[in-house]
Amino acid sequence: MLKRAVLTLIALAIAIGGGAASVWYALHIQKGAGAITIGTWTAFPDIGTPEADPYTNARVAREGVLALGRAEGLAFVAEHDSEGKPLARECVYRLEGQLPTARFWTLYAADQSLDAIETGKSRPAALQSHQVLREADNSVRIMASSRPAPGNWLLTAGSGPMYFVLTFYDTPIASSTGLSGIELPRIVRSGCDA
Amino acid sequence: MRSLLYAVLVGLVGAGIVHILVLMMVPELSERDAWSRLSMASDLYRMTPLEPETGGQPVVKSVDPLFLAVACRFDIGEGMVQVKAPGKVPFWSVSIYDRNGHNIYSFNDHSATNATLDAVALTPAQMLEVRRQLPDDLDGSVFVETPIGEGIVVLRAFVPDESWRPEVSQFLRQSTCELKEL
Repeated sequence: MLKRAVLTLIALAIAIGGGAASVWYALHIQKGAGAITIGTWTAFPDIGTPEADPYTNARVAREGVLALGRAEGLAFVAEHDSEGKPLARECVYRLEGQLPTARFWTLYAADQSLDAIETGKSRPAALQSHQVLREADNSVRIMASSRPAPGNWLLTAGSGPMYFVLTFYDTPIASSTGLSGIELPRIVRSGCDA
Repeated sequence: MRSLLYAVLVGLVGAGIVHILVLMMVPELSERDAWSRLSMASDLYRMTPLEPETGGQPVVKSVDPLFLAVACRFDIGEGMVQVKAPGKVPFWSVSIYDRNGHNIYSFNDHSATNATLDAVALTPAQMLEVRRQLPDDLDGSVFVETPIGEGIVVLRAFVPDESWRPEVSQFLRQSTCELKEL
């Protein structure tokens, strides 16, 4: 009798604990169902649409996001550099390469909850396409650093994990067919504060 | 030993069922979704800034630091809702979300007459009424036909640099979200 009770308890514990934990895990990993990866950049084109999968729906409800619509834009998040190392705020990064067609884009450095980094200065940790200089072949090169850099400079600050968020506004790539064959900048680590 | 294995197996199957149930229930039961957060901040048909200007926690995360956004909740069941904003800014876009935060429809200044925001969200039945006789003040509006009842409309505007901020926030402050009876 006792044995049966213990066994039932074990089964219940695995069912409830395992079920809840697996949902929690699935909702917390940055990647996941519905993600599209280009280089080191990840986007969720279906987020917040009625076609989204149940995991994305749950994430939208839990975090209270109001995702950008298709006529508005599409956001890409990078959490690693091109060598696969996690981005750190102590490091200097060079973002270089071609960008897809869009009316304009914005780039900002973010913390873990994807809010823009507080720089403590009047310059925000954000850049937009009308502010950047381009190379002769129309590509861009941006230095992300806590210290001033020549050319295009994205101010970062502090220490700890960092994310880059690159959002294209009013762009054909936000439609489902537009995502094939586009190129996004590489993120090259060029040094770190000890 | 065999009965222990059996218990673990039953547990794993149960875990799968619980996983699916919890996943399905999260959107229904969440008290942290956009609608709930907005309803704590303001009433229906009230344009609410998503980022408080005095700092502090944002009502709903609008994410991009180079953007400002306002949102208002509406219920088309009560009548059409007209969203307007006078003036011009470098870029604005509007999204209409249903009660669960799904983006139903979005458009930007390129798809508006004279790049001025004047949009009406309404049900197909209300659209039929409007077609029969177009009210004068809806002349030139963008009509968004949607079968949803309750929803959220979000107006986002681009702030290219700090010098634009007063003008853009003025634009958003003057935006209105109005219930229209037929």
